[in-house]
Amino acid sequence: MSRSPMNPLPPNPLLEQFLSESRDLLEATGKKLMQLEDAPTDQGILNELFRCVHTLKGNSGLFTFPEMTRVLHAGEDLLGMVRSGQASYSRELADRLLDAMDYVGLLLGEIETTEKIDAARAVESQHMAEALRKLMPSLISKQDAVSVANGGSSMAASPHAPLADDPVSVLPQLASIPEAARRSALEQCGQGDPLHWIAYRPQRECFFHGDDPLNSARQTPGLIWGRVLAPAPLPPLGELDTYSCLLGFDLLTNATREELDQYYRYLPDQVEITAVPALWLAKEQDEMKVLGNALSAADSSRALTADDEAVFNRILAAQRQILLLDDRPAWHAGRLKAVAAVLANLSQAVGEESGQADIQAALADALSTGHNTLLLAWLDMWLAAWRAAHKTVPPVASLPRVPGTDGRIAAAQTEGIAITSPSSENDSGKVPAEEGVKFGRRAEDSLIGPRSLKVDQAKIDRLMNLIGELVVSKNGLPYLAERAESQFGVRELSREIKGQYSIINRIADEMQDAIMQVRMMAVSFVFQRFPRLVRDISRKLGKEVQLVLEGEQTEADKNIIESLADPLIHIVRNSLDHGLETPEVRLAAGKPVTGKLTIRAAQEADRVVIEIVDDGKGIDPAVIKQKAYEKGIIDEATFERMGDQEAINLIFAAGLSTAAVVSDLSGRGVGMDVVRTAVEKINGAVVIESQFGKGTSIRISLPLSMAVTQVMVIESDGQLFGVPMDHVVETVRVPRSSIHTIKQSQTAVLRGRVVPLKALNTLLGITAIPRPNLDDELAVLLVQAGAIELGLLVDGFQETMGVIQKPFDGFLSGLSAYSGSALMGDGSVLMILNIREIV
Amino acid sequence: MPIEFKKNRVLFRDEVAVEEAEGLLEWLQTRPAARVDLSACSHMHTANLQVLMTAKASITTWPKNAELRAWLEPVLKSVE
Repeated sequence: MSRSPMNPLPPNPLLEQFLSESRDLLEATGKKLMQLEDAPTDQGILNELFRCVHTLKGNSGLFTFPEMTRVLHAGEDLLGMVRSGQASYSRELADRLLDAMDYVGLLLGEIETTEKIDAARAVESQHMAEALRKLMPSLISKQDAVSVANGGSSMAASPHAPLADDPVSVLPQLASIPEAARRSALEQCGQGDPLHWIAYRPQRECFFHGDDPLNSARQTPGLIWGRVLAPAPLPPLGELDTYSCLLGFDLLTNATREELDQYYRYLPDQVEITAVPALWLAKEQDEMKVLGNALSAADSSRALTADDEAVFNRILAAQRQILLLDDRPAWHAGRLKAVAAVLANLSQAVGEESGQADIQAALADALSTGHNTLLLAWLDMWLAAWRAAHKTVPPVASLPRVPGTDGRIAAAQTEGIAITSPSSENDSGKVPAEEGVKFGRRAEDSLIGPRSLKVDQAKIDRLMNLIGELVVSKNGLPYLAERAESQFGVRELSREIKGQYSIINRIADEMQDAIMQVRMMAVSFVFQRFPRLVRDISRKLGKEVQLVLEGEQTEADKNIIESLADPLIHIVRNSLDHGLETPEVRLAAGKPVTGKLTIRAAQEADRVVIEIVDDGKGIDPAVIKQKAYEKGIIDEATFERMGDQEAINLIFAAGLSTAAVVSDLSGRGVGMDVVRTAVEKINGAVVIESQFGKGTSIRISLPLSMAVTQVMVIESDGQLFGVPMDHVVETVRVPRSSIHTIKQSQTAVLRGRVVPLKALNTLLGITAIPRPNLDDELAVLLVQAGAIELGLLVDGFQETMGVIQKPFDGFLSGLSAYSGSALMGDGSVLMILNIREIV
Repeated sequence: MPIEFKKNRVLFRDEVAVEEAEGLLEWLQTRPAARVDLSACSHMHTANLQVLMTAKASITTWPKNAELRAWLEPVLKSVE
């Protein structure tokens, strides 16, 4: 096994799972961010969001993707601060986070194709992470104790505290450097070398990555001193997992920050590198004096500046953290004395000399009993009193309330490593067991995502095809029964076959239904990208838009949903660009400043209907007509007689754009044409309604599933044809006498409307004329294709049936008159007419 | 072999890799009074160190390598 910290590439299945999980999480993150924008204070969403990012980060850490981990880590820290109320959610913050998530998405794509991240990304990711962290500095200046608490408790649990560069957190730990090493370090400092304290907390699973933390620690550049420690108590020998790293390392080095970053480039999340001022390596008493002097020198009038208060606060928090430490090292007494000295100096610095005696008493007590309780109590009391007098100081609440528990849990939350709090005399109460577990990494993961199975779509498609074949071959049974009776005269057998058929039929139907269910997806799959899209576009255009999504749970076949995505995006873009007005225009028109865009999905019988409604300026039919005329889409005669609705429908015509300028959003004149084509391709229909000045509504109606097409079987010239039921309006028989010929075309009046009639035979190039029935009536199949309504003259109607339509391929695919073929139960082939093409 | 088990004594030699940890753990589990000779050891994988620490194994001889010894001495116990 390699001893370098470089990790080998993971086996592919794991990587694949990582990719698919990450994409889901990324999606969820984006969604949560949008939700948060509407409800910035919703702690529930915030927690979910944090968990998503946290899991993403954790997962990325399993692989060698330091770039991704870096960005996610910054995002996580930022969110952590928002969650704890240290930062507030803002649009800018959301922008940055969304950018970061996009970037992570980009990296995922890169990993997917090349299985690695380009080394050049390192700098980018650094910038990205810095951009995120930049949203935090203002918080750091308002520094309160939590970050320090985290830093301090990192010794107990967390491999990394968010504010690694905060040297105060390291202060208590410097005391553990042995004399010889301290002297040596001091000497080196004298030569101008920088000093860094590294808290290296390897991941538990690091052995599997080929890491040897002890080796990494030993090889650390410029190492002056180091120690091995067990952040959590080691388990009994019998329960030890040899492959789970339980040790951590503290290192003191005189290497530069660059060298260290380079050395630990693969483990940036496992090390916490802190620059240590040489001063701190001076004798403890000296050090305390220096700090004390600094404080009193800061303001002799004892009114501390805000900065000093922050420092003061930080020092207190650090002392508190020291008192909370659970271990009882040999230098425990020294530590207590140091704390007492700091407290005494502090109280002197702020002019509360009265405390001196109390501190000494508390110290004496602590030293004699070995319990810190009294000292801690004094500190808390003093802190509270002091805070009451100095209102400007950051909130008390941010300090760990229950000694030793909150701090550690907060730290555990940050890193997500399950820790069990060792009980100690310091703990005033027992930590509830479930609380410890709740923040455990695994427990947390299980909360995300429903219990579902990820299946390759190809497998479902195969099932789909198989059931299709089963349905067809099942349909052969009635024919067989028929033959048994008529050809062989065994009636009994025929009945039994029919009986069996009905059973198989029922099962096949159920099975088909079940497979359809598997393929069903909620429209939210498509809808979920709209909040982001609408937000981005509307901000770009300077418009205020409120997006309302309804019926997101409506389900339809996966193919339908997927093919819906592009048309919907076109429509939404169009609405935003052309439909909704800028706030000024809206105000002038007496509308609310914020435009409303509603996307609504609902199931109506066996169809899914999606409506996109905006309250924008609507479509002016006159303008559309004019444009269409100018572009030669309609001729003058059409121009004259065209009604408003027809004119509005022109926006679906190819090559029409009403936008004066082609922008990157719309205006190329392909938008609505593409929409119509895409919708019709999946047997859908799109209808537009618009009221000039009031708004536009576009209604897309789609079949629930494309797998089974309902067709009506018709007969013409002795042949059978299928007509998709979507196109069938009605079937009527019209007496030949009531068919009139106007100019060259035949027409009939049906329900008060004049309907043109055409013989199917003629349309298909068959010479035979339609055959009337005995009453001299012609069978008319009234069909609708888009805006065209037409009566097809056929010879007769047969039943309607569900068929699995197979598109033509190869040579036959050029036959546009048919949309495909289907197998009938008796094995014959039914040609499905493409009504749109032939009328 | 970088690791050699005697009756009640284990010798570490050169570099002791992660693969040895499992065996070392099993061996130590059955010998609470086992002693460890590290004199010829130049490096041991963290996993092995972890096992030694957990088992509170008694070290008879510290590594000749002073640097390694400095790491190990504070966390492992010597034979009294």
